[in-house]
Amino acid sequence: MPEYGPFEMIAYTGSRVLEDESIVFVGTGLPIIAAMHAQLTHAPSLNMIFEAGSVAAILEQGMPLSVGDTRAFRKACFAKGLCGAFELTQRGYADYAFIGGAQVDMFGNICSTYEGGTYSKPRVRFPGSGGAGAMAANCEKTIAIMALEARRFVPKVEFITSIGFGDGSPEYREKAGVMGSGPYRVITNQALFGFDEKTRRMTLLEVLPGKTAADIQELVSFELIISPDLKDMREPSEEDLALLRNVCDPDGYFLKRKVAK
Amino acid sequence: MTEKAASYVKKVSSLSIDEIKKKEERTFQYWGPTPDEARKAAVAKKKGLHDKRTTIKEAVAKYVKDGINLGIGGFVNTRVPVAIIHEIVRQGARDLTLSFQSNSICCELLAGAMIVNPNHVSIKRVELAWWGYEVIGIAPLLRYLAGNSMIQLDDYTNYGMSARFKAGAMGIPFIPTRDHGGSDMELVNRGRMIECPFTKKNVYLVSACHPDVGIVHVPAADKYGNARIFGALCTCPEIAQAASHTIMTTEQIIPTESIRQYPNLTEIPWVCVDALIEQPFGGYPGAVYGYYWFDMPEFLSFRSICDEFRKTGNKDKLKEWYDKYIFGCETFDDFMATRPYSKIKQLRQMDQGQPIIV
Repeated sequence: MPEYGPFEMIAYTGSRVLEDESIVFVGTGLPIIAAMHAQLTHAPSLNMIFEAGSVAAILEQGMPLSVGDTRAFRKACFAKGLCGAFELTQRGYADYAFIGGAQVDMFGNICSTYEGGTYSKPRVRFPGSGGAGAMAANCEKTIAIMALEARRFVPKVEFITSIGFGDGSPEYREKAGVMGSGPYRVITNQALFGFDEKTRRMTLLEVLPGKTAADIQELVSFELIISPDLKDMREPSEEDLALLRNVCDPDGYFLKRKVAK
Repeated sequence: MTEKAASYVKKVSSLSIDEIKKKEERTFQYWGPTPDEARKAAVAKKKGLHDKRTTIKEAVAKYVKDGINLGIGGFVNTRVPVAIIHEIVRQGARDLTLSFQSNSICCELLAGAMIVNPNHVSIKRVELAWWGYEVIGIAPLLRYLAGNSMIQLDDYTNYGMSARFKAGAMGIPFIPTRDHGGSDMELVNRGRMIECPFTKKNVYLVSACHPDVGIVHVPAADKYGNARIFGALCTCPEIAQAASHTIMTTEQIIPTESIRQYPNLTEIPWVCVDALIEQPFGGYPGAVYGYYWFDMPEFLSFRSICDEFRKTGNKDKLKEWYDKYIFGCETFDDFMATRPYSKIKQLRQMDQGQPIIV
């Protein structure tokens, strides 16, 4: 197999998860790259929503560096503002939310508001929800990209910025007044997670070839459900890597970053 | 449905009970004009088509006062009203409430001014969804001000803030949204969960947001303030229509004949605009679709000065930057004159000629 970096594996796995004939609401960075790769391979009829208001752009000027980048509006079919993008989503026209975060718990609740301290006096204040909270609420399925570290896969997040399954009770999301069905996949460079239908708990679906379920559990601070059908993650081919490196993110803004130790 | 769905009841996150109590003990207040006050401001305006052109200096002196709610247009690094922010910093404004969905340089510029001299510029509180630079990094001065409890934050999603401006623009006191519920924003922000009288299911209400002054930068407008926007509308039409007063900068003034020929292209009608200034590069270092791309090195350089202050507590370089580029300039044109033509040309080229209709 060809050599690949951790972010290339995440982008490739993200691409695999996205189905054709659907609409993905993308966050900045790897989600855009994953969606571009999917469009170029198995999902030519996949379209992207950018929260600044662009729907179904043709990214011929290259990867937008942010979701408000003017390049995200190139040859779009529909270009309005945030209200336009989120109302279409709230109405039910966005299949996937593709977001990131700093912490996630076993029910897929995500924190991206602060780390340490309190809400009023945070040790590290992050930018805030941005679109993520609304995407996790109202896109049909939520896909999250996270770094696989014990301090990020936590028993309790410090603050729920993006709703998952709450406490895991079947009626939590309905009571919350949100529309989407909730967490669907969590993608890391060493494992792909889904959620158990019955308990709504995070479930290990796939591991990086060479890794075991125990290896992954060690990096997660809550007890995982291990799929009885545990598979190896598919690795990107030479062609996939060529697309990712030469077409999707040729300047390596996101794919060439180093993983923090 | 139960009144409360959120994680307080369910104890999902580690948000402390003290933080939750703050919301419960607080009576709701609009952080700016109430819907009735905003309505009065609209009714009081002369509605004729009048030439609104002025200078940024005069517009800021007339409308930006201590204690106001300042609604900031654009989105992160796109079509951000930087020229107006520079003038606000120059003239000074204290105890500001900021309202926006997502922004980068505008709020960092105000935050930096507050750090340099809090008697000249200060932010009291912020109703927001997101404050950062996206690919460039998190905002050092937000981190500093929030970490030291120097500003009060009220967190919503990007849709939440946009919907709040939309409610303001619609002249309604609140709007139901399908987000915030079940997240900790439900427990800390000023919205509230109700049972829908029709479906009998829970739905989250957020209050209208009416800035005292909305500031927007648009690609094109006629002299009356009828504005055309290309690329992302962001939430500029809603902010302009919700605000008691709107200051608008535009890349260029276009003939009213063009506006009247394609009225569907007008995103902000003249009647919502109080002051208009033709200010090319008014969104710099942000991007304006059809005109210029964003200046990544400029963002990086300003951010690194801010981050150095955050790490060391030494204000010297920050103060130097403000002295040179804001207080040392009479106008935004003077500031732009410090940027080489080669850079301007490159940013124009990097836009790659996004198609616009003027």
